[in-house]
Amino acid sequence: MSISHGQGKHRGFVRSPQNFAAGLFLLFLAALALWLTRDLPQGRLSAMGPSMLPDWLAYGVGLCGLALLGAGFLKDGEGLEGWNLRGPFFVLLSIVAFAVTIRPLSLGSLSIPGLGMVVAGPLAILIGGYATPDAEPRPLLVLALGLTPFCMVLFGDLLNLPIPIFPQSLANVLPASWSQKTILRILAALMVLAALLVHFTGRRRRSNRIDVVRQPEEV
Amino acid sequence: MGDLISNLSHGFGVALSLQNLGLAFLGCLVGTLIGVLPGVGPIATIAMLLPITFGLDPVGALIMLAGIYYGAQYGGSTTAILVNIPGEATSVVTTLDGHQMARQGRAGVALGIAAIGSFFAGTVATIVIAALGAPLTGLALIFGPAEYFALMVMGLVFAVVLARGSILKAVAMILLGVLLSTVGTDLETGQERMTFGLPFLSDGIDFAVLAMGVFGVAEILRNLDHTETRDVVRQAIGRLLPNRDDFKQAAPSVLRGTFIGAILGILPGNGAVLGPFASYTVEKKIAKDPSRFGRGAIEGVAGPESANNAGAQTSFIPLLTLGIPPNAVMALMVGAMTIHGIVPGPQVMTRNPDLFWGMIASMWIGNLMLLIINLPLVGMWVRLLKVPYHLMFPAILMFCCIGIYSINSLPTDVMFIGFFGIVGYLLIRFGFEPAPLLLGFVLGKLLEENLRRALILSRGSLSTFVDRPISAGLLVIAMILLALALLPSIRKGRDEVFTE
Repeated sequence: MSISHGQGKHRGFVRSPQNFAAGLFLLFLAALALWLTRDLPQGRLSAMGPSMLPDWLAYGVGLCGLALLGAGFLKDGEGLEGWNLRGPFFVLLSIVAFAVTIRPLSLGSLSIPGLGMVVAGPLAILIGGYATPDAEPRPLLVLALGLTPFCMVLFGDLLNLPIPIFPQSLANVLPASWSQKTILRILAALMVLAALLVHFTGRRRRSNRIDVVRQPEEV
Repeated sequence: MGDLISNLSHGFGVALSLQNLGLAFLGCLVGTLIGVLPGVGPIATIAMLLPITFGLDPVGALIMLAGIYYGAQYGGSTTAILVNIPGEATSVVTTLDGHQMARQGRAGVALGIAAIGSFFAGTVATIVIAALGAPLTGLALIFGPAEYFALMVMGLVFAVVLARGSILKAVAMILLGVLLSTVGTDLETGQERMTFGLPFLSDGIDFAVLAMGVFGVAEILRNLDHTETRDVVRQAIGRLLPNRDDFKQAAPSVLRGTFIGAILGILPGNGAVLGPFASYTVEKKIAKDPSRFGRGAIEGVAGPESANNAGAQTSFIPLLTLGIPPNAVMALMVGAMTIHGIVPGPQVMTRNPDLFWGMIASMWIGNLMLLIINLPLVGMWVRLLKVPYHLMFPAILMFCCIGIYSINSLPTDVMFIGFFGIVGYLLIRFGFEPAPLLLGFVLGKLLEENLRRALILSRGSLSTFVDRPISAGLLVIAMILLALALLPSIRKGRDEVFTE
């Protein structure tokens, strides 16, 4: 999954791949900005139009890009080594998963019912956790089930922020006399219980590999 | 002088209320926590906690957020000394001598002198803020748009000169940051700029979204590439209080560090990051025996640790007096103030004296609390380091998502932190530093506004920036600085400071 450009392999045409790529990136951004503001008036100095400053800035960014591009040819520098796609992929997936499940969403023909924090939170943790090859499902599950109720109580109950906590369909199933907060608290308690359950049933089977950091002997 | 004392006592009256004391403590505690944990910085944390402050009164909210920032400076040294990994970017140099001291069984002394030095620096910085508040505010009132523009240009040049790595790349990041700030509806003509026709971009890019993407998500991605091998010092921490000889050796370094940190903190850029580097270099230069450095010299801990705390606190000065945030954390403070309907600037001191003086007084109280939070409780923080990063980052990720969603209740904001996270990660891989980008973004709107206003007043003549003496002076300083930074001999010295 990783493309490696070892340093030293690039002693040919491009002497600093990092600067070369950086220059190209800046040129791309500058061109994008100029293209986006192409229809807007520049104005005069006494009455600057909307696109005057962005255009100047884009030229500035472009010049920096050209200079870096030049430096990439002329000076030896760092390579672009070890691109790992696993991290960005899972982190992005986790963020998108949270965004589409937190509240009702319809994209064309596809519609997702709002599931609230009770689903979106654990989903973000479980998917995001796989961004590293060290991921282990059980500790992640414990984390997801333990941290989400904490956030639910903190943001929903104590701070009263208008963040959806659970799917509306759940409230319809339960007795009408239960308030939103009661449901929130019951859900949180259930999740904590589940977290404890998973944690303690798993302990015997798992080796104690998690402790990366050793304790100092006397604290 | 009498004014200062009466103002400060008013401030202490505000800061000592039960609620504000509690919030200061909470802020310091969270600050220490994120300071200790490598991979979580104050920028992402404050951005995550912004929605929590909705329900608080403005004074309490800002007291808590400020506590997080300077609290992180204390916590960062603990990790640096015991694990040889900087808990915060500001404690990078502390690893050099602090960890060596720990290996020699003097971890306690290193932690002690770091905390005591920080406390001293915090006390001095508090007084500096209180003393400079009134005169600078007066100065700000005679500033017109041309002066403000020149001041911000000078600030950005400072940020370039003081940034790490290539000057060219820092310039590019600042320009890109200002360019990003122009996205959205143009305030004067009402036309949309660079919005791709997307409605949620018409108000511009939200600062919290950009900050959380570039400093929260991109940091996670970068950290995932650098899997850390951690090894806590196995020797005893030993006694925490330095003895008389230690004090004698460290006291001048603490003084110098405080001075350097306080000055660099006021300047735009990141004084809290830069101060420790400068302080370490100075200590090494003037030491009788420079070879001791890197082998557990107490001066190499005392100086930089004082500098970072002094810098973290004095960076509030430009924000509170001129309304110009000198770094990304202060930009988030602007966000917190605007949420509560306070416009940062010279008028804060007269219109919200509770906020201004209460915050200053709370800083000293917070420093006192931090001394207690850090020294006797160091064992608790060390235990926290047992949490492996592969469990920490999913938690940060979820906090980021919840935090950013609850600011505007927009799922698009959540997606955008992912987008800016990837962009930020690319920039880091291309060798750019994201901090100048954020600073450019923060100052961009103010910069454009003042530039346009100045040019309208002068009927389009650029000479207004040179004709007015203050603005001309500021621009000349900026030019000289930039020229100096580009001189080969100085460039070499600058590189040396950063590669230590």
